[in-house]
Amino acid sequence: MTALLSTRDLVVGYEDRTVLDGLTLDLPADAFTVIVGPNACGKSTLLRTMARLLTPRRGAVLLDGAAIRDLPTRDVARRLGVLPQSPLVPEGITVADLVGRGRQPYQRWWRQWSTDDGRAVDEAMRLADVTGLADRAVDTLSGGQRQRVWIAMTLAQDTDALLLDEPTTFLDLAHQVEVLDLLHRLRVERGRTVVAVLHDLNQAARYADHLVAMRDGAMVAAGPPRDILTADLVRAVFGLDCVVVPCPVTGAPLVVPALSQTPATPAAPVPRKGT
Amino acid sequence: MPFRWRPVVVAGVLLVLLLVAVVVSLSLGTPYVAPVDVLRSLSGAGTPYDLVVRDLRLPRAVLAAVAGAAFGVAGTLIQSVARNPLASPDVIGVTQGAGLAATVALTSGAAAVLVAPAALLGGLAAAVLVFALGARHGLAAQRFVLAGVAVAFALRALIEVVMLTADPIDGLRAQLWLIGTLAGKGWTEAAWIAGTLVALLPVLLWAGWALRGSVLDDDTARGIGLRPVARRIGLAGTGVLAAAAVTAQVGAVDFVALVAPQVARRLVRAERPPLLCAALLGALLLVLADLAGRRLFAPTQLPAGVLTAAIGGPYLIFVLLRTRGRRS
Repeated sequence: MTALLSTRDLVVGYEDRTVLDGLTLDLPADAFTVIVGPNACGKSTLLRTMARLLTPRRGAVLLDGAAIRDLPTRDVARRLGVLPQSPLVPEGITVADLVGRGRQPYQRWWRQWSTDDGRAVDEAMRLADVTGLADRAVDTLSGGQRQRVWIAMTLAQDTDALLLDEPTTFLDLAHQVEVLDLLHRLRVERGRTVVAVLHDLNQAARYADHLVAMRDGAMVAAGPPRDILTADLVRAVFGLDCVVVPCPVTGAPLVVPALSQTPATPAAPVPRKGT
Repeated sequence: MPFRWRPVVVAGVLLVLLLVAVVVSLSLGTPYVAPVDVLRSLSGAGTPYDLVVRDLRLPRAVLAAVAGAAFGVAGTLIQSVARNPLASPDVIGVTQGAGLAATVALTSGAAAVLVAPAALLGGLAAAVLVFALGARHGLAAQRFVLAGVAVAFALRALIEVVMLTADPIDGLRAQLWLIGTLAGKGWTEAAWIAGTLVALLPVLLWAGWALRGSVLDDDTARGIGLRPVARRIGLAGTGVLAAAAVTAQVGAVDFVALVAPQVARRLVRAERPPLLCAALLGALLLVLADLAGRRLFAPTQLPAGVLTAAIGGPYLIFVLLRTRGRRS
């Protein structure tokens, strides 16, 4: 496998807390990679460091073998698109205008808009299915539409790789599937490398070509979901007992939590001794 | 984004209105000069009104236009960095810094020519302090505004101390300076402000473009290859220079800086204040305010600073109400 994005001995932390401590991993090119793990395991931190939104204390992020911090940020932006977890929607901005911001790395203040830019924006809006919303204000759209607009903005950037931090959070199930289908199409039809942090293990198993499971800032397992997603892994990563069965629709591993040993309902009163 | 006509049309209309306002401003007063004669006098045809139009009224009208434009530019840049439509040079301490220095100069018997340079230095010094206090988190909006408000309050208190301990006549002069007025000012002041704007022109051309990115949050901005912190420092620094330069010459007429960007933004229907239109609108607003201040209660003159607030306030409220009504 050729790695588009890699990390080498990555140490990242906030103030006095170390989140990632010496993480080394390779994310394959032309694949949909999903990073999973319990809350506070460092998966978002990893994604944000790879997206150069965080600066590592030690170690490096490599983009095609070159240390990302040595590359001009504009060059990186032409190769690596980033969608942060909850981007701020500028008040009153239209969909077409926001998607157009994705062309920033190709523009200069003395050369602000080209026909290439127009083409890329039209194409991005078509792919993300937001062409019909082009003149609407983004802050009047629903959560699902909004997320597609943000994805369209990163598509307009025309990058080989796309990093998304929990792109389905705050969306209902239908919109989650819609976003994931879109990312899947990007991978299959456009050959883009997609890396996303997801919360839902079953969605991860269904869509990912490559799954990275993390716990406590370290990688526990990495590989195709069918090879690595087992009950043992789920227990090791999430501390949850479960049964893994093939999904009736796709055949991908489906994680079904087991009945807990300690019942969720209050226990029956303990019989009093001596009566 | 693709080329939009609306900002160009709005800028054109504002420019025409500004020229009309200047001619009206040169025409009204005692004596009244017919607009035809104003134009003839301006063209150098030689009329009996040359003294009134060219020497008495024109310098002040030009100063109003130039100062208004500078306030519009300063307000646009400062509001974009503060991410707050209510920000203006007085929210980040520039006005108070200039005011304190001017007050000290006016009450300590320093030569009159030293007042403006002192005010310029005072405004810049206050801004440096605010930048230093706000810099820790990359001049993030909230920290920037909080640092500015804190510095502004402290300086305001010092101004009061200086005024209360000064000779009452000097205190009154300082008071008038603080309100901001164009009376008795002209070419010299206009030249200083215009000179600053011209010197900043290359930066302003960049800023007009860079403002586009300032509406995005830092993570999104970095994702598309921007450097948000460097950009904020550049935009805020430019705004501070413009604000200090103009405040030093005409005093705290900075309500223009608050209102012009927001009204201009709504006129061009953009997601952020447009730099050029805000400058033109600022110029128009201050020319009208100065004209009204001269004529409304003639022969008593009201300082332009009072009038900008009186005109701009209700108009901003009107625009806010109208915008909200359309959206819902």
